[in-house]
Amino acid sequence: MLSRLAWALIALAGAAAWGVLALHRGETINAAWLVLAAVGTYLVAFRFYSRFLADRVMGVNDRRATPAERLTNGRDFVPTPRWVLFGHHFAAIAGAGPLVGPVLAAQFGYLPGTIWIVFGVVVAGAVQDFVILFASMRRDGKSLGQMAKEETGPFAGLLAMVAVLAIMVILLAVLALVVVNALKDSPWGVFTILCTIPIAVLMGFWMKVWRPGKTVEASLGGVALLMLALVAGRHVAESPSIAPYFTWSGLTIAYAVIAYGFVASVLPVWMLLCPRDYLSTFMKVGTILLLALGILLVMPALQMPAFTRFVDGTGPVFAGKLFPFAFITIACGAISGFHALVASGTTPKMLVRESDARFIGYGGMLMESFVALMALCAAAQLDPGVYLAINAPHAPLGGNAQAAAEVIRGWGFTVTPATITSLAAEVGETTLLGRSGGAPSLAVGMAQILSGAFGRGLMALWYHFAIMFEALFILTTVDTGTRVGRFMLQELAGHVWRPLGRTSWYPSTLLASGLVVAAWGYFLVQGVLDPLGGINSLWPLFGISNQLLAAVALSVGTTIIIKSGKARYAWVTLVPLAWVLATTLTAGWQKIFAADPRLGFLAHRALVGEQIASGAMSAARGARLTFNDGLDATVTAAFMIATLLVLAASAREWVLVLTRQKPAAAKESPFVETAYAG
Amino acid sequence: MRVSLRSVLDVVRRVAGMPDYDAYTEHLRVCHPERPVPTEREFFESYLQSRYGDGPTRCC
Repeated sequence: MLSRLAWALIALAGAAAWGVLALHRGETINAAWLVLAAVGTYLVAFRFYSRFLADRVMGVNDRRATPAERLTNGRDFVPTPRWVLFGHHFAAIAGAGPLVGPVLAAQFGYLPGTIWIVFGVVVAGAVQDFVILFASMRRDGKSLGQMAKEETGPFAGLLAMVAVLAIMVILLAVLALVVVNALKDSPWGVFTILCTIPIAVLMGFWMKVWRPGKTVEASLGGVALLMLALVAGRHVAESPSIAPYFTWSGLTIAYAVIAYGFVASVLPVWMLLCPRDYLSTFMKVGTILLLALGILLVMPALQMPAFTRFVDGTGPVFAGKLFPFAFITIACGAISGFHALVASGTTPKMLVRESDARFIGYGGMLMESFVALMALCAAAQLDPGVYLAINAPHAPLGGNAQAAAEVIRGWGFTVTPATITSLAAEVGETTLLGRSGGAPSLAVGMAQILSGAFGRGLMALWYHFAIMFEALFILTTVDTGTRVGRFMLQELAGHVWRPLGRTSWYPSTLLASGLVVAAWGYFLVQGVLDPLGGINSLWPLFGISNQLLAAVALSVGTTIIIKSGKARYAWVTLVPLAWVLATTLTAGWQKIFAADPRLGFLAHRALVGEQIASGAMSAARGARLTFNDGLDATVTAAFMIATLLVLAASAREWVLVLTRQKPAAAKESPFVETAYAG
Repeated sequence: MRVSLRSVLDVVRRVAGMPDYDAYTEHLRVCHPERPVPTEREFFESYLQSRYGDGPTRCC
């Protein structure tokens, strides 16, 4: 009775907070209302909806031994306490996605992003993560591709694998571009990030050569050195003789990142990749906790309106209307197809009992949604004029604060040139203009919140702390991603010519690494050269591909639910599948065919053609832009077609099972009674 | 105090997905007493192979 009363109160508090958000029409609103509305919704959804999913739909059975128990080997199959595994799973799913997407989508105002982040996760993202985690746990930790192959057929499996590789290429390019935009002309940032490489190598030698296996002590030392590098960065930036060596243009950083990705992919993992992986995990978990604490302590007022005029599609950060572009710009945080890869990776091999999958799969994704919401708060508490000055591309803003302030006034927001320049000086940069990509504005927001909570006057240090934390784990995604892409490519190439499939054969390794790096490096360099800043075209491409991967995962999930004889509950994955397809296919269609050249790749291509003909653009530059527009359109179309094919193959299975032409039998591992005491 | 420091470090280790040599040798001793026990160095190398051998381990 008491617990019912408590749940009624939680539900009421959440509903009241939503009411405040819906009815509020003032100048500013406190972030506390967003946090309260979100947390209330999460708690109710976790208590009621995720229990329904676990008990009724998937049929969690704690008498059934998990893979961690049956196959325990002390290495990857390790029964792990639920809170610890929650931390591990969260560290694996949360990356730059939930931090960047909501910041970009803040151009529509704070409300669209908030609604999609909170309700999207409850009915779509967390459902996907839980269903895939559960399915993989019932199949000894098989991957999404293997499950697609077994449940839907080899064709769908192969398609899923090629799609994952292609998505990886786009993901790596756009994340690298975020780093480039954050670090260009920033000696402090470049110096700190460069320092992470020797620090990681030092840790690698520590763990492998000097004190084998002592990973924890090596990591603690690494984190300490990292902080030292951060502080030293300020002196580098302030020294007129040293600073020029670390003041790099966007293009230079892009080529450096490409070279780094290649080297990291071919070096032994212990030297660079593994230590950086540890470092970025600690930084990520630590910083996110710090940001949460900061927001709770400061409770900033949101300067951004609920909706801006840019819902009509004229926004400078990225083109396109609220529907469908808010829903693909925020991918991670609401629903992210990439999670299906992690949920079918290490986590299912570590669950102690089946019911833990609910807390870790569904609960872990709720936590990521909360991170996305905090990123949104950090961006929305900035003055909208400042937000636009940082995030709008160079081309419309012009090169200096005076011109930028003028342009932003034209958009209906006021910001003085002095505000723009003094803010840059306060965070220790020469300029913040045109740093599109989300990372710098999030860092400014974080710096304001953290210095508000933990001592003013340290703005510059907090800003560069935030930049370092973002760049560190983005670059860790770039190096691990390149390596994974290399393995996938080698596996695919192995079907064509056997020796190419051997991951230990050096020529094959060099070739495959080179190809993967060249693929994302091409998109990255074009993004840097793009007059509109690249984020404009690459982020939607990433969002579309990530959401289409979610559609693939939800299709596989639906197939598994139907084959388990639970067709009456298939709506739990079919409803989010329908929504994700509706938004993503609309967005894909508009990106290819829209008549507005700011939005549609083909319309932009036609515009470039006219400019070449009229002599307004050089033929060489025009040819490059024409080719890129064609490439972007082709890639988008290929993602859409691949997803529809997987969907069709899945739908065929559904019909066959539902019309009883095929038995409703999912390919689970056989039941073994658990030996653990109930 | 020593116990709690150890358990804190244990949580840190597991969250980052680091190898646990003591747990592995304990597992071998209990479940496979016939198998040779690897040195900590050998164990670390086989861990690296299985962790970074294939498949994505991180998200966007």
